[in-house]
Amino acid sequence: MAHKIAVVGDKDSVLPFKILGFDVFASSTPRIARETIDRLAEENYGVIYLTEAMAKEIPDTIKRYDAEVQPAIILIPNHKGSLNIGKSRIQKNMEKAVGQNIL
Amino acid sequence: MKKGTIVKVSGPLVMAKGMEHANIQDLCYVGDMRLVGEIIEMRHDVASIQVYEETSGVGPGEPVETTGEALSVELGPGIVSQMFDGIQRPLDTFKAKTDSNFLVRGVNIEALDRQNKWEFNATKTVGDMVEPGDIIGTVQETKVIEHRVMIPHGVKGKLTAIESGEFSLEDVVAKVETDNGETDVTMLQRWPVRRGRPFKKKLNPDKPMLTGQRVIDTFFPITKGGAAAVPGPFGAGKTVVQHQIAKFSDVDLVVYVGCGERGNEMTDVLNEFPELVDPNTGESLMERTILIANTSNMPVAAREASIYTGITIAEYFRDMGYSVAIMADSTSRWAEALREMSGRLEEMPGDEGYPAYLGSRIAEYYERAGRILTVGSEEREGSITAIGAVSPPGGDTSEPVTQNTLRVVKIFWALDSSLAQKRHFPSVNWLTSYSLYLDDVGKFMDQDLGTNWAEMVQHSMNILQEESELQEIVRLVGIESLSEKDRLTMVIAQQLREDYLQQNAFDDVDTFTSRTKQYYMLDLILSFEKEAREAMRLGAYYKEIVEGTTDLRDKIARAKFISEDNVEQIRALKDEAKELIHNIVAEGGMTQNA
Repeated sequence: MAHKIAVVGDKDSVLPFKILGFDVFASSTPRIARETIDRLAEENYGVIYLTEAMAKEIPDTIKRYDAEVQPAIILIPNHKGSLNIGKSRIQKNMEKAVGQNIL
Repeated sequence: MKKGTIVKVSGPLVMAKGMEHANIQDLCYVGDMRLVGEIIEMRHDVASIQVYEETSGVGPGEPVETTGEALSVELGPGIVSQMFDGIQRPLDTFKAKTDSNFLVRGVNIEALDRQNKWEFNATKTVGDMVEPGDIIGTVQETKVIEHRVMIPHGVKGKLTAIESGEFSLEDVVAKVETDNGETDVTMLQRWPVRRGRPFKKKLNPDKPMLTGQRVIDTFFPITKGGAAAVPGPFGAGKTVVQHQIAKFSDVDLVVYVGCGERGNEMTDVLNEFPELVDPNTGESLMERTILIANTSNMPVAAREASIYTGITIAEYFRDMGYSVAIMADSTSRWAEALREMSGRLEEMPGDEGYPAYLGSRIAEYYERAGRILTVGSEEREGSITAIGAVSPPGGDTSEPVTQNTLRVVKIFWALDSSLAQKRHFPSVNWLTSYSLYLDDVGKFMDQDLGTNWAEMVQHSMNILQEESELQEIVRLVGIESLSEKDRLTMVIAQQLREDYLQQNAFDDVDTFTSRTKQYYMLDLILSFEKEAREAMRLGAYYKEIVEGTTDLRDKIARAKFISEDNVEQIRALKDEAKELIHNIVAEGGMTQNA
């Protein structure tokens, strides 16, 4: 079954993804971001890219989908640079999966 | 009658020769002290006798005299509120007569007081045709039990005399013209304990017996006429469960057989029951209770008899049209008594040394329970509900007594030591227990309450089962790995466990829960679940729901302490829950992130 990919975050960061054919959802406030993600989760989205800056504001929402199979929420840096949240999340998940930090 | 001579004494087992005139199951007087015993085996002229009293000091050469009668109980007014030993000797009279705190040997006491006068009200008149089981009159035995005097078995014909008035047990209250001449009828009957009293027809036990214990009434209900086993390791609360049922079940009469358990437990009953008020009649509980005590320091052979004495008395009241509950605490001690006798008889042992006939003996006992139509022309309905505690050594229910019991009973309340250690009482394990009457009771309750009770119970059970599966995951990878939905399930399951299933037997309000209150309480938790799930669907987060409802959940937890008179408060709480959760959703669930 095919899934769609969405990108959520501030307008400046997410707009370029439109070129790649992703569905782009600009959200200016955390509240809008949360509602967008909750809505997308109900729809057929398999991967949601979310900017790190926005992710910092809505930790509960991200936690909510941690235990779900889909959607996978992947954190990406925004146009101002990386906050390193995304990378540390990947490292943590890796540690959980194999038992030690192999990166 | 010719006397036999003792050739061997081995604890409670005495062998005597020269007994060719005796029959198996005859009652005997053994030795110079005239101890009461019963013949359990005959080989040529040698009888093996189990003696119901301590045998120290008895030796070979002493005489044995048989009575030619089987071990019987006396049935008539004066049984209720009494405490008897295993062979129906009234213990308070016994104490008064012997002036001893312990059983003195060779004392022969009549089971029922012959002097006491009872007010007999005839309900039949001269000329009526009567048959066995017909009620000819009543005696108000205690405030709640009306003793119905029945025509004894084997007597059929026309009443030629009957009168009301004050009579003692042996006075003739009626005369019946039978085919073989005139027979006198007194208020006293005798019945051999090892033979079940006859009935006309066995009915399907499908009416629930309310016990006031939530885990039992809701998840593992018992019916009037059903049989249940309560196995559990020591300290798990078998005795408390039995006591609770004896106190609060909605039956007319309770026979409590304390069989091989601690004497203090019988003392508890004696201290508590007279003070407790029966919620069904408003009178003292003792007014409807009969106690049979064979505590652990009393003779082993009488333990074997105590169970039969109890059930025969229960059958007698069943025949009057009452619903009777009989508790046996514990049948394991009874089985051990069988084992001891079997060992001394040098029989071939079966599993774990129990006699090979253990299964048939247990079945024989439980099969005497049931809902029946009585004999007699007017066909009353009576029932015996048998509840037997089993104490499997080490809590291992694969041992023979538990297994043989489970083969015949349809209800299994498995008490769990790990729950008891967590202070979860009653420690009935909801995953391993079962009741095969659940469907029947569900249908009855649906009609009685006019709700979807059966569905609610099934749903709650599913939640509890789901929780145990989730618990496995949590143990492996931690609570964070669960989805929000599953975490909510855990919360609801916790509520069901702690706020519904846990019940404090020593709290004045919580000790008994009526059917309506049970419904309200379960409904409250399930409607909380429904609202919470709906809120989650609308976008509220698990954390918000849980944190927003702390106070509410606290109130739900305390719903069990709302007294029966104020059950409407539980209803109000349901509306409160609905409103509160709606508010959480209305806030957009943004309490954390906004």
